Amino acid sequence: MLVTFWGHEFKVNIVLGCIGGFLIAVISSMFGFGGGPFMVPLLTVGLGLPMYVVVGSSLLAIFFNTLIGTARHFQFGNFDLTFFLIMFPAAILAGFIAPQIAKRISPVAVKRVAVAGLAVLALNLLGVF
Amino acid sequence: MKQFWGSMAIALSATLFMLYQSGAFAEKQGAAKPQTAAAEAAKPEEKKTGPSADSITAQIDKTSLSNGGTITVTGTAPPGKPVFVEIWADKKVRASRFDSEPDKETGKRPYIFYLSEDMPAYYKLFVPAESKGALENIKKEGKSWSFSKALKDLGADVAYSVPAKVKIARYQTTLTGSIIGSRGELLPAMDEKENKKRSMQLVKARFRSADKVLGAGVVVNPDGTYKAEIKIREGLAPGKYNVVASVDKKIKSRPLAFENNIHFPLLYLENAGTSLNLFGPLLLTLAISIFGVLMGAGGGFILNPLLLTIWPLPHTVVAGTVMPTVLFAQGSGIYNYSKIKFISWKLGTVIGLSMVLGGFIGPKLTELITLDQFKFIFGWILLVLAGLMVWQTTPGYLAKNKKEQAILKEFQKRAAEEAAKKKQA
Repeated sequence: MLVTFWGHEFKVNIVLGCIGGFLIAVISSMFGFGGGPFMVPLLTVGLGLPMYVVVGSSLLAIFFNTLIGTARHFQFGNFDLTFFLIMFPAAILAGFIAPQIAKRISPVAVKRVAVAGLAVLALNLLGVF
Repeated sequence: MKQFWGSMAIALSATLFMLYQSGAFAEKQGAAKPQTAAAEAAKPEEKKTGPSADSITAQIDKTSLSNGGTITVTGTAPPGKPVFVEIWADKKVRASRFDSEPDKETGKRPYIFYLSEDMPAYYKLFVPAESKGALENIKKEGKSWSFSKALKDLGADVAYSVPAKVKIARYQTTLTGSIIGSRGELLPAMDEKENKKRSMQLVKARFRSADKVLGAGVVVNPDGTYKAEIKIREGLAPGKYNVVASVDKKIKSRPLAFENNIHFPLLYLENAGTSLNLFGPLLLTLAISIFGVLMGAGGGFILNPLLLTIWPLPHTVVAGTVMPTVLFAQGSGIYNYSKIKFISWKLGTVIGLSMVLGGFIGPKLTELITLDQFKFIFGWILLVLAGLMVWQTTPGYLAKNKKEQAILKEFQKRAAEEAAKKKQA
């Protein structure tokens, strides 16, 4: 498939993109997260697209998944209104606070902290400690 | 800034709505309750007047608790018999279990999904204090304990009554059914005995550990008087709790009731069956979401497992509730990118449509796995994610990223200029 972006043309292996997107969607809707960090590598490494094409488009693709996943979770009775109303304002507020902090710190440093945090959490979930 | 106040207004009204709703629900249920209680109380009374020697009496020392506490049950039972005390909450929660264990006789896997919406949000059966040793042995079995075996070992299956009567639906799950995201074919209702057997498995699936549903604490004296100090822990469902003392299937005391009250900022999560302080998840979500935006991944990855580790919430509810919270952030992100024309609608929609299929199936699978399986798979997902993040901090990636970021900035500048031009025209 040919994708035109700001006058540049990119040839995209759409079959790989769709299969990858499908698998990421199953996992992410099953476990209730967005899936962005998996979509971006899929599109940049898997499909060889540059970052500036990927950032917005991957968000659009994920939005489809989150929308349908939300509807299905609601259908199966997994949605708790009170719980949602507790977390929702906090998530919005975070969207306004985070960019203010982001200006002041290095993203690489944040990622290093995140790696350590994720590893600890993962080992905890796997029952290593 | 305008956007900020707008969102805050939405958030504020959402919070007000939530408070209104939890209050309104409480009133409605409170009004409906006394009637059913009276009806229940009438029946056992008749039994009591019959064989008087074989009766059991019960009293409780309190009628209301505030977010848990200790309640003492006393009474008289026929001498020389064990006394069981059954306690359950009026509030109902959902319990589900996917049976894929091979059948002992035929070796076939049944693949049946059991689902009940009527499981009490709290259930516990107290057995005589002498059974403490037996109960300790059951606890030692860890995760593989069986509720039906435990009841037999403790001689308590005669007293197990309330969950046995809950309505359980069963679905024949098939592979193709799961692929198209359906629960499968609804099977005919079970008979009483089968229902009881399956209800025990659902109790285990819902409450998980043995000490949540079984306790050894009824002290029975030789003259038949008994006393049980019952600790109701914090964070349970509010509302009416019922207490029944029994000796066997027939000899049961009149049902007694007490009220468990919770007050703001504690809120009861109707679907999760847990009460929690609203500031806990609020601050956690805030902190994790900020961190999530900074590290360039949504907060869900960290938020989900943390919520599950800190509070006793079902994984289905966590997954199903965290997902919509990111919907808004994604929507506003798309809006911002579309303003500067930074979205390839063609690419996003084509891959998005394949993701719609995936998103349709995923939530079905959530209820087929247990909390432990959920945590295990999530652990591996996080390890992969950590690996991706390590790769994103390697010098090679950073150099490439820097170049691309520069191009991105250049494009953004161009987009802004074009938008400005359009405005002038």
